[in-house]
Parts: sequence; C-alpha cells; structure tokens
Amino acid sequence: MGSESLTEEKKVAFNRTHMAIEAERVLQQIKDDFPDNPDAMNYFYDRYEQLYCEGNSPFEAENVIGTLCVQVPEELIYAAGGTPVRMCNGFYANDQAGAEFMPAKSCSLVKATLGMLNDRSTLPFADKVKDIVLPATCDQKRKAGEMIREMGYEVYDLEVPPVKESEAARLYWRRSIRDFAVALQKITGKKISKNRLKEAMAKVAAAQKAYRKLHSLRAENPALILGKDAFMVTNAYFFDNIEDWTDVVNQLNEELEQRKKENFSAAQRRAPRILFTGSPAIFPNLKLPILIEQSGGVIVADENCSSNRMLHDMVAVDEWDTENMVASIADNYLKPCTCPIFTHNDDRKRKLVSMAREFAADGVVYQAFSGCQVYQMEYSSIAKALQAEGIPMLFVESDYSPDDMGQLSTRIEAFIESLKAKRRRRR
Amino acid sequence: MNYFAGIDIGSTAIKVALIDEEKNVIASKVTSTGSHFRKNSIEALHGLVAENGLDIDNLAYMVSTGYGRKLLKEAHESVSEITANAIGALEAGWEHGEISTIINIGGQDTKAIQIDGYGTVTNFAMNDKCAAGTGKFLDVTARNLEVDLEELGEYHFNLKAAPLPINSTCVVFAESEIIGLLADGHGREEIIAGIHYSIAKRTIRLAKRIGLDGLVCFDGGPALNKGLVASMEDELGKKIVVPEFPQLTTAIGASVLAYEAYLDEQEIT
Repeated sequence: MGSESLTEEKKVAFNRTHMAIEAERVLQQIKDDFPDNPDAMNYFYDRYEQLYCEGNSPFEAENVIGTLCVQVPEELIYAAGGTPVRMCNGFYANDQAGAEFMPAKSCSLVKATLGMLNDRSTLPFADKVKDIVLPATCDQKRKAGEMIREMGYEVYDLEVPPVKESEAARLYWRRSIRDFAVALQKITGKKISKNRLKEAMAKVAAAQKAYRKLHSLRAENPALILGKDAFMVTNAYFFDNIEDWTDVVNQLNEELEQRKKENFSAAQRRAPRILFTGSPAIFPNLKLPILIEQSGGVIVADENCSSNRMLHDMVAVDEWDTENMVASIADNYLKPCTCPIFTHNDDRKRKLVSMAREFAADGVVYQAFSGCQVYQMEYSSIAKALQAEGIPMLFVESDYSPDDMGQLSTRIEAFIESLKAKRRRRR
Repeated sequence: MNYFAGIDIGSTAIKVALIDEEKNVIASKVTSTGSHFRKNSIEALHGLVAENGLDIDNLAYMVSTGYGRKLLKEAHESVSEITANAIGALEAGWEHGEISTIINIGGQDTKAIQIDGYGTVTNFAMNDKCAAGTGKFLDVTARNLEVDLEELGEYHFNLKAAPLPINSTCVVFAESEIIGLLADGHGREEIIAGIHYSIAKRTIRLAKRIGLDGLVCFDGGPALNKGLVASMEDELGKKIVVPEFPQLTTAIGASVLAYEAYLDEQEIT
C-alpha cells in the first residue's frame, strides 16, 4: 500500500511538472513572441503564472463551486455565498492523464478536465473544491459526471433541455434552475435572499459590461488588441476574483481607448481579420489562436463558450421579485445560448454571420476537437451558411496534442495568404 | 540577367527551381531532404547554380516553401506550400487549360486545392496528422514487396486480373496486411494495383470536400507513378492533368512568387 501511494504521488508530481512546463512555454509565447502587449495584460499573465506555474490558489475564497459548462448561472452561486470556478481544462498533460477514463476517440477538453479533477493537478483551489455543477450538455460531459462522482466529488446534475425554442423547454429549464437554487442553499448553508441576489446580479453584470466594452473595442479597424490576449482575459474569468477581474478589464479598455486615439495598430494594418468559433480555446491550448496571429492574421471576435458565449448576454429583469429574478436568470442561460448541443442551430448560424459583418471579418476559423461530435457535425451547416454570405471558412480538426503543429501552420498560413490574395484582387 | 529561386523543402525531398524574368524555368533539381535540410537546401541551390553556369549574385529573390520553409533563413520570405502549389500548377498546366482543382500528394500530406483563374486559393482540404495514403505509404509498400518505387507503375499495368482490395489505410497496419496477402500467395501486381486504388479512393474522397469541378491537376512525387494516376482517373471518372515535372510544381510556384515579390519591391523603390 505504502509504495503504491508513493508511486501515485510521484505520478501526480510528474504531471504537475509537465503542466508547469506547458503553461510556462505558452505564457512565454504569448508574452514574448508578440510586441506591444497592453500593460494591463501583465495582471492576467501573472494570474496564470501564479496558478499554473507556482501552484498558488488564485485568491481567498469560500464555498468554491466548480462549474463545467457555460449554462451554470453564476448569479445564483454568488447569491448563495459561493464562488463559482469554471473547471473546463486546456492542458495536454491532463488530457493524457484523463485518457484512461474515456474511449480512444473522445474530446480533449473532457479528458483533460477528468485528468485534472482526478489528480487535482491544475485544479484552482485544489484543496477546497468539493462540489461540482454539471449541466447535462453533451454526452461526453454528461457521462463524465459519473466518473467525477467516483473520484469523490459531489456532483450536482443540472438538467438542460435538448431544444431551447419550445415553451416546454423554457418551463423545464426554469424549474431546473429553481431546483438548483434550492440545492445551492443547502450546499453553502446560506439563503438566497432578494437583496443578495440583486447584489450578485450587479456583480456579474458589471463584469459583463466590462467584457462587452472590450468586445466592442475589438471591432475597431485597425485592431487594438490581439485575439490571443482577449482569450487570456476571458479565460482568467474562469478562476479569478470577479471584482478584480472587472477592474482590470476596465483598465484594459481605457488603455485600448487610448490606443484608438493614437491610431495604434496591434497587428499589421492590413492583417486579415478572423472570427474564431467552434470548440473553445482554453489556456494553455491556444495553439490555433497563436498560430493565426503568428501567421499574420488577427482574431477580432470569437464565438466560443470560453469567451463570448460565457460573457456576452446579460440578464434582463422585468419584475424585481425573487421569483421573477430567478426566472429571468434562467431565460438568459438558455435562450441566447448557441451551444451546439441544442438541436436547432439557426441561432448560431445567424450569430456567426452577423458577427462576421459587424467585426468586418475576412474569414472564419472553425476549431473542432477530434472526438467532439457536436461541433464536428455542425460544421457543414455552418460552412454552408457562411458560404452563402461569401465568408471564407477554415475548418480545423485538432486536439491538445502539440504534434500537429507543422500541419496546422501550413493550413493556417495558406488560409491567411488566400484571404490576403482575395483582398488584393478586390482592390 | 536576374533570376529567381523557389525552394520547396518537403518531408522527403528538396526541390529547387530557378526562373528567369520571362518566367521560364532555367534550371531545377530534386534531392533528398535528409536530416540536415538547411545545409542540404543551400547545397542544392549552390550546386544547381554552378552546374548551370549562373552567378549566385544574380539571384535576385528567393522564396522558401514546404515543411522546412521557416528554417531557411537565407530565403527572402516564405510562403505556405498550398499557396505556392496553386501558382505553380496554374503555370505548369496552362497548356492543358485553366486548372481549377489541384490534388497534391507529398511525402506525408495529401491536399486538395481549389483555385481561381488567378491562382488564388479559394478553398482547400488537407489530411489530418495521419500520413495514410501519402507518399510514405507507397514507400513502405515498395519496401515490403522488394520493388523499386519507380517500378510500381509498371507492375500496376502488368496486372491482368482485378486489383485486390486493401482495407488498411494506416501505414503500419497496411504493412501487416500486405505480408498477409503475400503469405496467401497473392502476386505483387494485384497488391500494388490494390494499393493504388486504395490511395486513389481516399484521396478523391478528401478532394470531394472542396468539389472537383473543371480541370483537375495531380502533382507531387507520387504523380510520377502512372499506375496511381490511372487509378485516380478511374476513381474520379475523368482525365487528370499531370504536369511534366510533377514534383517541381510547388517549387516553381515559389519561384514565380519570388519574381512577383521582386517586381513589387522594384516598384516601391
């Protein structure tokens, strides 16, 4: 027994070292391979360094509640005195560690998340996480819940309807959210009062406002900030103190406003503008965004659940009584959600086309993790919708492994070159 | 007189093409990549220049492409092999008409590229990281069957019966499948033709993702294999254009881009 647990410890220590190396390497790329990073970004770079390279908890927090998808209403968690932390993981070392739980052809994100939860390797608040909320989204996430439970976590299954347009779905989801609110109070031992809920909503809304400002600044031409930095900002929202995060995003926005006045360009002035969509970019698996920007493109917007889908849509309340507030929160986490698990994806098509227009995108890069069925299956209908609008799209199937970098760089470069050539001819 | 170089550093071979100001190919060379491909690229270039009595000082612009493109610091710039291939195929195939789709099989990649009349890439598809159905596959087959790579085409056409179905697409598993077929007493001809059809099927399926309208050009080293070309035509159901030097198309494309970049620079200064 003794020697067995020692090997286990050794394995975990090994993984941790691999992860620190992985995090360090990507951080270095993000910081040093690009000139003129905004000053406010240093705060975010440091956050990752502290958490993943030094293994420190992000901040002092109580009642840490892990969340596994974008459909978990944070307002309710904050109102119940909890701290939501998004657990979706981007480490290749965790992907390898998690491979033992999943079939061979499955999603890197789910594997990495399982790997992380199992060895608590890059788990933020590693010593504090006990409860995990798992929305019943895709099959792989759903079934992962059983394994997470076996690892010793308390898993709350948040039921999600498979369609979102119908009245039945809305009622089903509202009820699911009400049940969740009741359960949360039991977990934290604190009541969700009207005032606490109001405060929590204001806190989340302030963060969203800051994000939306950043989002709209990215529509500027020339680009004021690179997409790799925008992903670093939204990824930090997974684990950072929400108020600190909001403050620094506001500082960043001011810095970008200043850049705008100075007619500063974060990329080459004629860099093709890219809209990024599909399987989420999560640190340190930012290989595609980094490759795009190293190849002379600039990501000006994204439609990702690690970023835009997580922060863009704000709760709209009609009546400020608890019941209506909870119902409004529920609606906001279902109606605008463009997650591909829902059977109709007209919303996602519309959103991508309108974002491409609004952000003057020259092309779309669609990332699908190998083994992620929903994004892979949605690809052809999205491709058709974009094609009908004359928007070129590059579909890239990849995973967390770094061994396809050579191939990917050829593809990304060829895509960027074709966008440049297309624009040259238009002129 | 100035001339322009395109160097295509692939996983298996280095291809160098030199063109003059009329875009005529004045010299070209194919050598094996080896492990020191930067050194080998420079040697290939200098060798080619010397063999043709040219002066290296008249080399006005050089563009690198292929897997090793970024490591060749001597080049003025690099471009992805997809862009270079498109330009090269348009140049190489013009006498047959306007190429609209290129199928390229390299040492470790298969690509299908759709281009417009200017050689601009409008769409493309590429195999994922697996090297199934690429040049490497033919390489391994030839080795297993103890046949020279150059002889594969001949064996293909010597076949009187039907080609065998080869089911494995993975190089490693195909190897054991071939050994099994040999053990069962099957001849080399039927195995070789079977492999050609298996590669062709896989390649055409990839190319269908971007459509296969208009004139189709097939290039890259494996396009030298006439048996494979015939299988591709059968699978596609129409004639395919193969450039005279299919291995060199991408290098020629890079040299044309070098020439154009040189002209742009002249305009600016």
